[in-house]
Amino acid sequence: MIFKWIDERLELGKFKEKFLGKTFPTHPTFLLGEVALFAFVTLVITGLFLGLLYEPSAREVSLFGAMVPAAYASVVNIDLLPLGLIVRRIHHWSAMLMIAAILCHLARVYFTSAYRKPREINWLIGLGLLGVTMGAAFTGYLLPYSQFSLTATSIAYYISRSVPWIGDWIARLLFAGDFPAASTVPRFFFLHVMLVPALLVSLVGLHLLVLVKQKHIEPEGNRLRREAEGGRRLIGIPVWPEQSVVSLALFFFMLGVVTMMATYIPLNPIETYGPPSPSTPVMRPDWYFLPIYGFLKLVPGDLSIAIAGGRITPETIGGVLFPGFLGLLLIAVPFLDRVSMSQNYLVNPLRRPVMTSLGLAVVFFLCMTTTAGYIDVLHITPAAMAIVLVLATVVIWLGAYLLLRFHNRTDKRGNHGKT
Amino acid sequence: MVDGSSGAGTGKGGITRRRVTLGIVLAALASAFGSLFSLLKVLAPANKGGGYVANVGPGDRLVYADGDHSGNPLRASAFEVGDAVLAYPLGKTGNQANLVQLIRLQESEFQPPVRKELTDRGFVAYSAICTHLGCTVSWVKNPEAPGASYSECFCHNSIFDPRRGATVVGGPAPIPLAQIGVRVDAEGVLVFTGGFSGPIGPQV
Repeated sequence: MIFKWIDERLELGKFKEKFLGKTFPTHPTFLLGEVALFAFVTLVITGLFLGLLYEPSAREVSLFGAMVPAAYASVVNIDLLPLGLIVRRIHHWSAMLMIAAILCHLARVYFTSAYRKPREINWLIGLGLLGVTMGAAFTGYLLPYSQFSLTATSIAYYISRSVPWIGDWIARLLFAGDFPAASTVPRFFFLHVMLVPALLVSLVGLHLLVLVKQKHIEPEGNRLRREAEGGRRLIGIPVWPEQSVVSLALFFFMLGVVTMMATYIPLNPIETYGPPSPSTPVMRPDWYFLPIYGFLKLVPGDLSIAIAGGRITPETIGGVLFPGFLGLLLIAVPFLDRVSMSQNYLVNPLRRPVMTSLGLAVVFFLCMTTTAGYIDVLHITPAAMAIVLVLATVVIWLGAYLLLRFHNRTDKRGNHGKT
Repeated sequence: MVDGSSGAGTGKGGITRRRVTLGIVLAALASAFGSLFSLLKVLAPANKGGGYVANVGPGDRLVYADGDHSGNPLRASAFEVGDAVLAYPLGKTGNQANLVQLIRLQESEFQPPVRKELTDRGFVAYSAICTHLGCTVSWVKNPEAPGASYSECFCHNSIFDPRRGATVVGGPAPIPLAQIGVRVDAEGVLVFTGGFSGPIGPQV
């Protein structure tokens, strides 16, 4: 009855025919993007709860007899609410999960060369999503206004300032003045709950729209099936009901895992960090910023280059040029590895020695710069770490390349070159 | 051109309705976007007194910056050789640029480029703001070998040697921490004798 009433007005039948019947090819790695999306949904829901109770202000208020910033006090009060601490931890764990899922998704697309024509556009949108998500994570750092928040944000402030020529302006634009300014928290709160999520939602929409328009890439096995059975349609399961059930199950499984982690594993204990104080204890950022953090430790302090009125400092190299170079490298991938024919099947990474070994080398390099973040506990000097880092990366790169070449040669003999 | 047959839109160099409209639209867009540039200035305010501008003056007493004694004056008698503490000038604790690390060393340990005239009875003070990315340096005391103690910024492990004018001996910091003069007054309380001897805070 109700369905008929709605259907007569919104033509849901047509919609069902057109979209709910869309085919999803099946492959376990095709769910990584969904995990990222579901983590985002979790972030929005938990964020609603936190946002309603949070106070984005640096004014001093009394908390258990001590004067602390209102933002810090409001987060401590959230932690004291029934389920408050768990919701905050779910929020934080989901953020980590979202970035992890995006990185895994990125790796899957890269190693199976799914970024190739016609999917270059979605590769770029995906990179944008990664960047914006890290921006969302970063703007969230400051909000609890703990000693950790202040230190992390202050470091980012000086990194922004280290951009040659326009650094001062960029830093003031992002941080709403010279940090630590009273105007920074409200600015970050707005960025974190409004601007960045709005960007995320738009980009996610665009990402999915392009996906629907282009049709999903398929596993290699589908090609063989198609050759045997004929037909041009995608092989897989329809959005409704099969894929929806899979997705829903995945969502609840993810939610369960995140909730369990939030319950048992402490994260960002702001009560331990305490409100802002003059001293800086040992603190490291969340894992996804560790490569930059580690790289910053390796750049020697006397490496300063003056160019045309600007200055490239160690901070510029570690905090701006290094991540910027990585970003440009990723953007360039589909334009360096071009094909003339559209590619609609995943490619076995073992068949692509050049790109696969390069990808492995970059992943290894990032792991090593992450390790560089721990040189203080490992008792390694920055110079020694830098040398090991470069040498080991080159060895991994060449080693992987030669191994893959060797593998393909022996494999071709046995398989008559069938890929 | 959608309609190639009209001729009105394809005339070479002539003034057509289409071109005038296009010109007006472009001018409107240019002025609209141009006006956004003024917004960029509004959104990036420069606060007065932001950044690291210290206002320490001669005669300012040193007080504990944190811990249980926070805000109390520093007495020379409370320090043994090898001790260090974070301190602010009395009454100017709101300004982070004023944060210093006060260290007591053996007078014989001082080597150039430390400015001995800015020290008193082994007390030496440096800006506590790391010149790399602005974290606060900490005193890493070595109980077995006091001469091997040093100042370290725990953010990116820049290491400074207070015996040699807080020279950078490791890590990414570009310049030494600036020294600031201290002396012990008649009441045994530490006071500043002047301002910082060099630039403080991150050099970016």
